[in-house]
Amino acid sequence: MAAQAGEQALRLSESELDLKKWVLWALSVGIWFVPLVWIDPITYLTLTIAGVTMGMLLFLTASGLTLIFGLMDVLNLAHGAFFAWGAYAGFSLLNWLNAKGWVELAGVGQSVGSLAMVLGVTLVVGALLGVILERIIIRRTYGNHLKQILITMGASLVMIEIIKILWGPNDEVILVPAAFRDSWDLFDVIVNKFRVVAILVGSLVFAAIQISLQKTRLGITVRAGVENRELVQILGYNIRRIFTGVFAAGAALAAMGGVMFAIFKEQIYPGMGEENLIFALIVVIIGGMGSVTGSFLGAIMVGLAFNYVAFLVPKLALGVNIMIMAVILLLRPKGLMGRE
Amino acid sequence: MAPDLTPVQQERLRAIHSRYTQPTFVTQLALLAVLLLIPVTFSSFRVIDVTSKIMIFTIVVASYDVILGYTGLLSLGHSMFFGIGAYSLALVIYHASSPSWYHLLIAAAIALGLSVTLALVIAFFSLRVKAIFFAMMTLALAEFTDILAVQWYDLTRAEDGVSFKMPGIFDVGWSGPTIGPLELNGRVMTYYFILIVSVILFGVMLRFVRSPVGRALKAVRDNESRATALGYKTFHYKIFSIVFGSSVAALAGVMFAMWVGYVSPGSVLSTPIMLNILLMVIIGGLGTLYGAIVGAAFIKITETWLPDMQKVAEALLPKSDLVHRLAERWILYFGVLFILVVFFFPKGFVGTARDMIKRRKAKAGR
Repeated sequence: MAAQAGEQALRLSESELDLKKWVLWALSVGIWFVPLVWIDPITYLTLTIAGVTMGMLLFLTASGLTLIFGLMDVLNLAHGAFFAWGAYAGFSLLNWLNAKGWVELAGVGQSVGSLAMVLGVTLVVGALLGVILERIIIRRTYGNHLKQILITMGASLVMIEIIKILWGPNDEVILVPAAFRDSWDLFDVIVNKFRVVAILVGSLVFAAIQISLQKTRLGITVRAGVENRELVQILGYNIRRIFTGVFAAGAALAAMGGVMFAIFKEQIYPGMGEENLIFALIVVIIGGMGSVTGSFLGAIMVGLAFNYVAFLVPKLALGVNIMIMAVILLLRPKGLMGRE
Repeated sequence: MAPDLTPVQQERLRAIHSRYTQPTFVTQLALLAVLLLIPVTFSSFRVIDVTSKIMIFTIVVASYDVILGYTGLLSLGHSMFFGIGAYSLALVIYHASSPSWYHLLIAAAIALGLSVTLALVIAFFSLRVKAIFFAMMTLALAEFTDILAVQWYDLTRAEDGVSFKMPGIFDVGWSGPTIGPLELNGRVMTYYFILIVSVILFGVMLRFVRSPVGRALKAVRDNESRATALGYKTFHYKIFSIVFGSSVAALAGVMFAMWVGYVSPGSVLSTPIMLNILLMVIIGGLGTLYGAIVGAAFIKITETWLPDMQKVAEALLPKSDLVHRLAERWILYFGVLFILVVFFFPKGFVGTARDMIKRRKAKAGR
């Protein structure tokens, strides 16, 4: 009798849990249509595209952060510095390409080519810097959160100062390949061309990360490493090399996020990485630390909310991210997709 | 000594009996005397300025040490509380039509109220999961506050900053009677006020970390599960520590604004301030409290005389553009120093010194 009652209670709590889950899903999907009450549909679409773009750009940065945290248990506060380095590397490359007529005066093919080149180079620069930082500094601090945070903060400072020495401390204008400069007008909905590119790149990166994590052997090893580091090592995998690789990949993603963001905003300055790091941190907290899907959802959520609120109540725009974070943490202390 | 006392009680009794003969006590007195005499012996503004900033930052760093060194929680938002204190005073005085002494009290009350509330909220949201969450949340919130201060021009006057004049005897323009070599003016009065408040706050923190609560905090730091198993509500203790440390930092912020008379996001809220505090606490030594004095003194003195060295370097090699660029970037050296200290000097001055004394005692004992 007692057992039955207990079972019933259990079932009840399960259905309650189900209900809670559904309410959460309904809320998180439905909430994006609420702004339609105040905004006319055409502006709404424009804002939505802007929001998704911002989300994709945020995701590029946040994904590296969450990957590094998920596998290595390292909170990398030098992530913003990689972001800025990527932007500056892209800036130099675009200037160089421009001298060859591939940027300002380029046709579609040349524009696509130069963007691809810029993305490739920034990925390489980011990965190189990541390998250097991991080998020299971070390797020595595994298992000690305090040291990691302090060291990465210090490294971030040094890297940003080096940017100031090499490129100067002032704001610069970054060139945008000609084909991506204007916007399309689809039935009065203004679609900036570069936004489409950003959304494409973001989705591609998301797909690439998911596929390589889920389907490839390396990805499986990485995921296994997240679950149980020692066991993977026992099975004969060189976890240190994998760590270096993941760190480099995270840094490369940050650098790519940096150059995409810079082209999107058409300007660069040494402090840009640090400013973006907060958004990335918020996204990672919302999404659940270590979860790529979570940070994808979180990034888009933050991007959309920021744009809607910035249109409706400009003063609140900065606070809305913190508010979303607070609400999500109230409902799910570990973030959207966070696990134990 | 009564046999029914616990070892801890015996230790305490022994400490109380030898209270006034300890070398620590003598050092404390000497330090206090030096601090009292500084405005008398040095008339140069620079020395007084550095000393009072050292005192203020000692309080900030010590309060940070309560959270990080004694409780083991890494907060990256300590500068936020410092800034809240500074802005409370600045804005209250700035917006008051005729500032008076009680505005100082109002500002302190606002600073305390805000920081306690904020610390409670942060603790409630972030401590439920993982310790590292706390670091991330505080970092995000601190950066957010910085951005808020930059963007909200109507309230904070953004990067222009708020400059204001303290009322009454703390006004820079006020001048009073001259007692012997000491000319009483607004600066000197503010200096002594800061000295008194700093000594009180430091004493309170010393008392705090030695109280039963402080000992429970150390237990939480060293082994949280064991502390829980012993029946301590570690969650409450952590919250207590965060709220206490943060509100002391806010008070230090009030003093800072009082001394400088000018507050801007760059001077009280930005990330470099947080890095400064971190570097000070590490150079001084984590979990030592006295290390705060060493750390704050070291950084503030270097910071004050570094530009001079820069000028020397530029005078030696006047033509080189690279030297100029390198000299301009003193934060770079600061960052390198930071990394080196974390790697090679993790215990800090006071921690290393204590280790050495302990080792020497152990040798002498043998």
